[in-house]
Amino acid sequence: MPARRLQPSREFHVVVLGAGGVGKSCLTAQFVHNEWVESYDPTIEDSYRTQLQVDGRQVVLEILDTAGTEQFVAMRDLYMKTGQGFLLVFSITSQASLDEIASLRDEIIRIKDDESVPIVIVGNKADLEENRQVPRARGFSVSQRWEAPYYESSARTRTNVEECFIDLCRQMLRREDEGGAEDSPTHKPEHSAYDSHKRRRRRRLRDGQRCVVL
Amino acid sequence: MTPPQTPSSSQEDLSEDQGPPTFHNFLRAHYPFDNSALDDSNITMPLDRGDILMVHSIHTTGWADGTLLATGSRGWVPTNYCESYEPEEIRSLLHALLNFWDLLRSPSINDRELFSSQEYLRGMIAGIRHLLQRTNCLHKESSTVQRSDLLRRCRKDITSETSSLVRAARKMQELQDGTLNPPQDPNDICDEMVLKACQIVLKGVQLIDTLEEERRNRAPASVRVMDTVTEESVASSFDLSQAFPLPLNRRLSSFSRPPTRNESSPQGHRVSSSLSHRVSLAGPSSYTRPQFLVSERLSRSHDAFLSHIGSFIGRLSLQSQSCPELASAIKQCASSGSELLAVVDAVGTHSHSNCAALALARSILCERIHELVYAARDSLVQAASEEDLIMPNGNKELLMSATGCVRSAGDCIAKVRNAIERLGDFELVELDSSGLDMDLSILDAAARMRERKQSHAGLSETASAAESSGTAGSRTPGPRHAHTPSLDKPLPEIPAMELSQEANPSPPPSRPESQHSQGTSRLNLLPKLSTTLPSAATENPHDHEYHHSSRVDSMIASSAGSSATYLSRDSETSIVSQASTRATTPDHTLVPRPKPSVSELSATASSTLTEEVEEVESRLMEKTYVHELMFNKEGHVTGGSLPALVERLTTHEAAPDTVFLSTFYLTFRLFCTPTKLAEALIDRFDYVGDSPRMSGPVRLRVYNFFKGWLETHWRDETDREALVLILPFAEGRLSHVLPAATGRRLVELAKRVSSGTCLVPRLVSSMGKTNTAIAQHIASDTPLPPPIMSRSQQNALNAFKAGGNTPSILDFDPLELARQLTVKQMSIFSSIMPEELLAQKWMKNGGVETPHVKAMSSLTTGISNWVACTILHNEEIKKRAAVIKQWIKTANHCYELHNYDCLLAIMCTIQSTTISRLRKTWDLISTKRKDTLTPLQEVSDTSFNYKALRARLHDHVSPCLPFLGMYLTDLSFVEVGNPATRQMAHGSETGDQRASGLTVVNFDKHSLTAKIIGELQRFQIPYRLAEHADMQEWLTVQIDGVRESDKVNVQRENYRKSLALEPRETVPRTPLEQTPMPTPTTSRGDFFGWMTRERSQTNTPAPL
Repeated sequence: MPARRLQPSREFHVVVLGAGGVGKSCLTAQFVHNEWVESYDPTIEDSYRTQLQVDGRQVVLEILDTAGTEQFVAMRDLYMKTGQGFLLVFSITSQASLDEIASLRDEIIRIKDDESVPIVIVGNKADLEENRQVPRARGFSVSQRWEAPYYESSARTRTNVEECFIDLCRQMLRREDEGGAEDSPTHKPEHSAYDSHKRRRRRRLRDGQRCVVL
Repeated sequence: MTPPQTPSSSQEDLSEDQGPPTFHNFLRAHYPFDNSALDDSNITMPLDRGDILMVHSIHTTGWADGTLLATGSRGWVPTNYCESYEPEEIRSLLHALLNFWDLLRSPSINDRELFSSQEYLRGMIAGIRHLLQRTNCLHKESSTVQRSDLLRRCRKDITSETSSLVRAARKMQELQDGTLNPPQDPNDICDEMVLKACQIVLKGVQLIDTLEEERRNRAPASVRVMDTVTEESVASSFDLSQAFPLPLNRRLSSFSRPPTRNESSPQGHRVSSSLSHRVSLAGPSSYTRPQFLVSERLSRSHDAFLSHIGSFIGRLSLQSQSCPELASAIKQCASSGSELLAVVDAVGTHSHSNCAALALARSILCERIHELVYAARDSLVQAASEEDLIMPNGNKELLMSATGCVRSAGDCIAKVRNAIERLGDFELVELDSSGLDMDLSILDAAARMRERKQSHAGLSETASAAESSGTAGSRTPGPRHAHTPSLDKPLPEIPAMELSQEANPSPPPSRPESQHSQGTSRLNLLPKLSTTLPSAATENPHDHEYHHSSRVDSMIASSAGSSATYLSRDSETSIVSQASTRATTPDHTLVPRPKPSVSELSATASSTLTEEVEEVESRLMEKTYVHELMFNKEGHVTGGSLPALVERLTTHEAAPDTVFLSTFYLTFRLFCTPTKLAEALIDRFDYVGDSPRMSGPVRLRVYNFFKGWLETHWRDETDREALVLILPFAEGRLSHVLPAATGRRLVELAKRVSSGTCLVPRLVSSMGKTNTAIAQHIASDTPLPPPIMSRSQQNALNAFKAGGNTPSILDFDPLELARQLTVKQMSIFSSIMPEELLAQKWMKNGGVETPHVKAMSSLTTGISNWVACTILHNEEIKKRAAVIKQWIKTANHCYELHNYDCLLAIMCTIQSTTISRLRKTWDLISTKRKDTLTPLQEVSDTSFNYKALRARLHDHVSPCLPFLGMYLTDLSFVEVGNPATRQMAHGSETGDQRASGLTVVNFDKHSLTAKIIGELQRFQIPYRLAEHADMQEWLTVQIDGVRESDKVNVQRENYRKSLALEPRETVPRTPLEQTPMPTPTTSRGDFFGWMTRERSQTNTPAPL
């Protein structure tokens, strides 16, 4: 669909999800916060809008991070509906937070009714290696099972913060290029999609990034 | 208007920094810059080595829009001629100057509020204190100061400039109170203050330079130091002659390193071209170092004359005027005029050529003064025959002759300056005071006058004080005064160079000689810019030529270009300059404005001056932490160390800002411990004792803070530890110093607090009370709407209470349902305590510390789940549709009641996959009913950061129940998005964080937190709705019933039910599961907002 490639900039809705206290809001704040702004006021409309370039294409991300409202369980459905891509964040220092994103993923797949909705798994607080509860290998095995890339990030040291968002963008862009995935999920040529997942992951591996899929 | 082309294009070798321009708040000229050859010389500024610039913005080309501290004039300068300037010693003062400038120039600040106290001066004073402390010059008697005359002089300059700043501030205070006589334009005083502040900084720079020089010369050079002393005094003498533009000389004074002289030739050239627009801010500081040089005397007497005439004109505009006052004003004018004439005569006798023109000008001036005096006498005589008052209508003539005087004086002075320039400056000690042969006693006779004022006394006094440096003046080579007023005039040249080099044997201490001469020789290479003159500038040259004393004009010219700049300290530049133009009034356009401070050159003024200097000395001795505060452009505190914040809370002059105070009370536990706070307060109480001037009010405020803390802001669980400090303090020191009752009161409060009783019920915190929303609170006599409850409904409830059947949701009126839900929610919402919302406490420990936030979120979730249950509970499609309809109606009522929390709770269920997939059920609901959902969906749309909801809540009048979750998200992001501390980096923001940068509390973060909490508290006002106890009970049972099963995943359970009720259709192509509305596309699109968005995004762009 060449016409789409001519689109100068695309807008995507990304939802950041995870249990409370895993530092997902730090991740979001790090990502959208312009370092030169002295004071960060989250109450303005474009507090969570950001523009970035992914593989030479302009992408506008509208990020929905409902940090602080994890207790409003019933709202989750509403939040998830708006998302086209999901960042599932857990803390490597808490096994429970990994379990939490597993149920979040189920919910997403149910709500989007789409097995291959763009998802990135993020193990945050990677700087707290000494408190690690979730072995890296477990993260990777989850990643393999879900066919979703896994990153270990640290908002504090600003490690892999941008990378996980960019990865999500790539997935969304690719889906869009493949076309109509959302219109007819059941007719999607599943294998090719999964293959390209793998291809992409291998490419990333070659680039020397931290994300590795075993 | 864009700035001229970058000089670096032709001056590559000179440029210090080849990288992209970086922003520095202050620059120091490294090379002299001569802009006279430039076409746009009226928007650029020439520079001398050592000039200090305050930078407003830097254009990408490398031109900086800056204000020259020495003159206050503003224009474009090439940054490659400069280097960043911020030595550690003076950094805090420079920073204070920036704040001061922002404060005084910001149009968004309320003058009355700002100027009612001298609070805003404290940053400057603390900066000076810091500078003096760092340079070991804080005490007059310190060995550093005692060792060097030069340093002593520098220090004295600083204090006297400070005292005149304080005086100007006091004048402003009086003006605000309406007690200033004669009234002045506040803009004038502002200008004066800014100028003074700049002067103070310059003197500070001078001090540092001097120290530096001393450090270098320490061992060998007692002789050399003497040289510098004389040199310095010479230079400073020119400092004073500013009635006419003498940027060269002013500049010299800013920077005492003598060898600048070497560049006198290019300087002279530059002066001649830029003459007319350079005066601007130049304010007099004449009394500091009186001199005998004729140019100086001329300026001084001209200033005095103008100021007297000015205040005379000011008086005329008053409604009525008493005779003696008017007569005395006239006499002041006349005597200063006479003095001026005497100086003119002295020059005339010295002069050999051009006498005719000068003589003519002189005689015209003389005549004008005569006219004025006679006119005054006439009106005085006339008035005396009637009453002791001069009526305004007789003033016209006086006004005319007064303005005539001013004009002819200006004319005459120009001629005299011309003459002086040709002659060279010379020393003039004795004056023939009979310049104006006129007997002023006619005025006395006419108005039964008081004794004539001794306006000469000040002069002679200061004259003697300056005796020592006077001799130096005589040596001054004339041609240094190369202020040729016209462009075509050839420059006086070479001799100046030789002479000055002879006079100044010492090379510039901080720059190697070679570099220096390099700079000079490169003058030939100065950029020949061929930029066309920007249009904005071509409109302005007239202003530049004639609006002498108004610095505003140069601001217009320069700041107009700031839209094109990319590095700016002040995003409001253009607004600022616009706002400042109000300073220019037509009356003043033709003449240099009378300088207010000059009018105080009388004997009395100079005696108060010493007192003021004393006062400044004592103020400098006061311990303060004000330099540890950070402000934003609006003048709000954004950061500070704990002692500095405490000081801010307990200033002596004004009660603390209520927002600041309540923010502090609410959030202080986040950045310090109660013990630390108590320590800081007690310390404040103690150290202020050293400054008797303010110890009284400050101590009272310390007491008040303690009192407020104990009375309304006490958290026993955390604050108890501070009692150990507070109790002995209250019993001891406090009772000793303040009336015993205060101590007793505090002890009493402390004891009550420690007994565990919260003194004031804090249902609505004090922060909410300050808010205006309360005023709009519905009056309590508004009748409560009667509950909509039929007998059968009541019976159903009664039966339920008796243990019978549970009534269904369909049994009740949707409005009453909405009301009772609202009442239920609001009772929890209004009891949320502000401290529950701090530091994401509701996310920690399962919300133990935040019972109300937890209750609120679980109620909202409970309602959502209940809605789902009531719908899914029914096997029958028709019934399900009826329940959905009922909920749509209820949601609509919530919307009308402004209960957005409940609205969201209902909407998120109705829109959830579980419910929206029930296609067959939705088919039974009319399109009309579905349409009513559209506005509700819009408000409950969470995208774009709750844009729709925020828009509704903005300025919303209570009663209203906002969505709590939104505030929780905001607070979370303030918490994680803003660091806990800030680095005090005085000056450069981009520069390296030097170790000296102080780490202070990021108070801005807490202000944001408090702002959001205050926003939430605005809505903590109950609805005027009657609570229906039976229905409340029923609601509780219903919602709790759902909550019971919370342990299982209710959402998943409900989805399973939903699948059971209307199984997934097995047709392979059914994306419709998500889109349960098989209605026409338009209404379908409208129905679910998220779908509209998704579709438009994914599909519309594809022209398939």
